[in-house]
Amino acid sequence: MKAKNMRFILMCMVLFLNIIFTQKMVHQYFYENYKNALIYCALNLVIFPAALFLYKYDVKKLKGADRG
Amino acid sequence: MEKNNRFPFEEDNYTHNINRNNERKLDRRGFMKTLAGAAGVFAVSSLPWGALAAKELMGLGEKEYPHQKITDIAAIPIGDSVEFAFPGEHDSALLIRLGENKFVAYQNACTHLRCPVYWVKAEGEIICPCHHGKFDVKTGEPTAGPPRRPLPEIIVKVEKGAVYAVKVKRYEG
Repeated sequence: MKAKNMRFILMCMVLFLNIIFTQKMVHQYFYENYKNALIYCALNLVIFPAALFLYKYDVKKLKGADRG
Repeated sequence: MEKNNRFPFEEDNYTHNINRNNERKLDRRGFMKTLAGAAGVFAVSSLPWGALAAKELMGLGEKEYPHQKITDIAAIPIGDSVEFAFPGEHDSALLIRLGENKFVAYQNACTHLRCPVYWVKAEGEIICPCHHGKFDVKTGEPTAGPPRRPLPEIIVKVEKGAVYAVKVKRYEG
């Protein structure tokens, strides 16, 4: 598979994980498993820089592809 | 615009507010950017949940008041009740002795319109005289009448021949 499409799929995975983590976090909060809620919150926070990096990386790669 | 500065515009298309070529087109990069932004929104919106969970973990949600003596055990026969105020001096409450060592206490404002409720020994129920609301004495759940929520329970502790109020139980809807 082309690396370009790989990055696209990864980005979609990020959104998917975001949705799952948020759902889990809210549910764990209401089930009063506060430790689990905190874990999911941290995962949600960690995934944002990853997504940002992925986007920047993608832009850089595409620029290179256009010129070269 | 000068010609037809009226509403609605006399125009035969819906493109008058598009200024740039492909303005409405979502290309690959735009989509990636949107997803990265969405991840940011998710991250920010999960912060309050994390803060609340951390607060619960550190035990700030469970407020414990200084223990307050309600009555001596000898002063209250089985099946009788006594009124007291907890946690503030205006939060009146009701202690009921159900058995030899079984005490229950509730804040005695009816959950309908905050009338004071009374323990009626003969009927074995907590009754609100205003609108004939009734509460189960063991759990504080409403059993009849307009109230729909349970009475807030006060956790009591028996110590050295006296009954102490410890804290108000968290409301669970």
